[in-house]
Amino acid sequence: MEQFIYYLKVSFKGIKRAPLPYALTIFILSVGLGVFFANATFYYQLNSDPLPHKSDKLFFPMALMAPYECNDCKPPSVLSYSNIEKLSQTDIASKAAAMYSADGYLRQSAEQAPLPVSIRITQRDFFSMFDVPILHGSIWPDNSARAEVILTKASAEKLFGRADVVGEKLLLDDRHVTVSAVLDSWQMLPRLYDANNRNHLGDADDIYLPLESGYDMNYLSNSQSQTFDDTDYRQLSTQGRSGAMHQLQYWVQLDTPAQQQAYRQFMHNLVQDEKAAGRHPSEPNNQLVAMRDIVHYFGGESSDIKAFALVTLLFLLVCLFNASHLSLNRYLSNQYEFSLRRALGASRAQLQLQMLADVLLMALFTILGALLTGYAGIKLMNQLLPSNRLFSSWDMPLLLSLLAIAFACSYLVTLYPSLRASFGSLNQQLKE
Amino acid sequence: MSFYLLCKVLFSRKVVTSLLLLQLAMTLALLLNSVLLAQQTRQQLNQPTGLDLQNILLVQLKPTTATLRVYPALEELLNRQLSAVQAIPGVIAAAYSNQSAILQGGNNGNVYVVEQQERTNVSTVPMYFVSTDFFNVLDSQVLQGELPQYSVSLDAPGAPDVVITQSLAEKLFADVLAAGKHLNRGRVAAVISDFYGQRSGDHVMYNSVQIAPPYSVDWGYSILLRTTPAQTNAVRQQLATVLQNVESNIEIFHIRSLAEQHQRLYRNEYGLAMLLTILSALMLLVTMVSSYSSSHFHAIKRQQEIGIKRALGASKGLILLELLSENWLCTALGAMLGVVLALWLNQALAQVISIPALNWYLPMVTTAVLLLCVTVATWYPAAIATRVSPATATKAL
Repeated sequence: MEQFIYYLKVSFKGIKRAPLPYALTIFILSVGLGVFFANATFYYQLNSDPLPHKSDKLFFPMALMAPYECNDCKPPSVLSYSNIEKLSQTDIASKAAAMYSADGYLRQSAEQAPLPVSIRITQRDFFSMFDVPILHGSIWPDNSARAEVILTKASAEKLFGRADVVGEKLLLDDRHVTVSAVLDSWQMLPRLYDANNRNHLGDADDIYLPLESGYDMNYLSNSQSQTFDDTDYRQLSTQGRSGAMHQLQYWVQLDTPAQQQAYRQFMHNLVQDEKAAGRHPSEPNNQLVAMRDIVHYFGGESSDIKAFALVTLLFLLVCLFNASHLSLNRYLSNQYEFSLRRALGASRAQLQLQMLADVLLMALFTILGALLTGYAGIKLMNQLLPSNRLFSSWDMPLLLSLLAIAFACSYLVTLYPSLRASFGSLNQQLKE
Repeated sequence: MSFYLLCKVLFSRKVVTSLLLLQLAMTLALLLNSVLLAQQTRQQLNQPTGLDLQNILLVQLKPTTATLRVYPALEELLNRQLSAVQAIPGVIAAAYSNQSAILQGGNNGNVYVVEQQERTNVSTVPMYFVSTDFFNVLDSQVLQGELPQYSVSLDAPGAPDVVITQSLAEKLFADVLAAGKHLNRGRVAAVISDFYGQRSGDHVMYNSVQIAPPYSVDWGYSILLRTTPAQTNAVRQQLATVLQNVESNIEIFHIRSLAEQHQRLYRNEYGLAMLLTILSALMLLVTMVSSYSSSHFHAIKRQQEIGIKRALGASKGLILLELLSENWLCTALGAMLGVVLALWLNQALAQVISIPALNWYLPMVTTAVLLLCVTVATWYPAAIATRVSPATATKAL
């Protein structure tokens, strides 16, 4: 330990002797790593798997069951109510939930100012499929229509100033509803259950309403809806249920490969039957997309972050080359000192230990600089690319990986210069 | 000073020179592609929209009670709001619409000539349901036919007449007169000058407009107004109050000019171009630091050599030129390598984002910028080196 403290002291003396080259090396490494950190944060968070234990068991089935003819079309990315009814006519899936989102206004009484809310209109299995935590109350017992809503903790606190509000009455767009449950703090990022139109980058919804009630109350999707016939979308409760008005996402949980295969076969048979009945003229094109692939399927990957990732990697390389270059100059300037130590009996291993003390110091300063630069970079990226702002937080695994990268980079930029200074002809070096 | 000797000096420091070359090459590659992206964003932001962006204001709003979202209460609300907005001094014209112009996507559908669907179908054309003054707000030129004068309910028998933009008319009818022809959405009453509709549509200038109250305002609706240039800001400041006074049960999502709307539409491209520009500036800074440090270190190492040269009659100017030439040569070699790397980076970026291909003049411009930066960075250490006195430098010999 004493020896190590001595090495640290020597390192400090070296810094004091030529502070500018040292500061420049730290500056360049910090900037390179900081910019890399900032982008790596977004890249990591955007590509993270929010449900690693079941993301390969949750599937979005899509079938070309629409009244138009198209031979090499992808199926519509949203389904109609009747599509969902047909896809639900099996018990192969362990769980299943259809859903869409809409906008509404919530208040306690007609006199109160309305609170704009985003409503997820869905079915009861949604909560267990996506591991949504319940704080108070219970989820609807079945999928039938009911004037009951589930609030998030934040919405409950905003409206009532407390979280335990089960049984309280509310006005949702002038209709009376009762709170049946309150969710605990929950945010699934990326929000893969709603990946159409890059909605996976969005915030969680404020309240939850049963699907049948959503149709009865005539809520239209605020995200994506398509009509392939003469359905009047204002008559959602009647025509919307029977016509080709597509606005629903549908998720099924298929736990085993056998279940997945059986569901594929079920979809195949269903579409063949529909085609034979003359309801859907197109050639079958069924898709059963796993949740982990859904963003890619909908083409919603953040290309700006990908492009910037490539560029920041190049920038980090440039900074590493540059810092190595500066470090090499610094070590060559101190060559005489190294050679003198060697002449006085210091082994190369001891010189490498000295180098390790240098690396530790450099890594410490670099990490501090990189974290500051990274933080500033994230703030800047949130300003310039605000759609990704929910993905800008650091978590422990990310932070530890970043620290390890910073240490490795500090080691790399010091390794070659120190080796070069420790080897070579001693006579020649002492003469220079 | 010979080219051969310059090369020899440069490559006597193999590792340092290689690191510097790689760094210069990468800087140039990044700089080139950033400039390309910035150019593309500027072009997108400057493309014609057919609209007076600065003087058209957009209010996006929605009634907060369900009763106000259904007819006839909705129509009465729309008319009251329009009357109040039109009464604001400085407002030339005001209209409601189911959606604004200059959007990413929105309410749209396919359009085709009746009985020629297979040949003429255009899959994504914005559908505007507007009040009569909509064309005055946009200051549209009527190129064919006559604009409809009355609002017709979409629920009435027979579809209201359609007004289409020039680009859509050309696509559907080529050189044939469009006015009077029948589309799946109704009879074409007029063809107007182009305006920017939806970015995700088949073409940003394809639009179809019908004078009719919106089907539904569940997604909100827009009030568009054109103002006199001098009073745009004054009108904007009054809008929220005026609309709240008309009806308090509304939520105003935003009030912005179409110029702001246009900027928001290209916000991601602008953001990425800005980030790359900042990164390029940082890269240039890093390169300058590197060049400065390298020159400074080698000038000190070569004090004796410079002293001897000075003793043998080399002028300060010649020494300065020699040191700068070493850096220029290094930069030129790095730039050549950089162009190759820029081509690779351009292709790699094109896989994930839309970026134009490299042209012939940009490498020259960016190389010149790089040379300038390197010269600025190495000037000071080179100038210091020329001050070495021959006597001091050679006294150890």
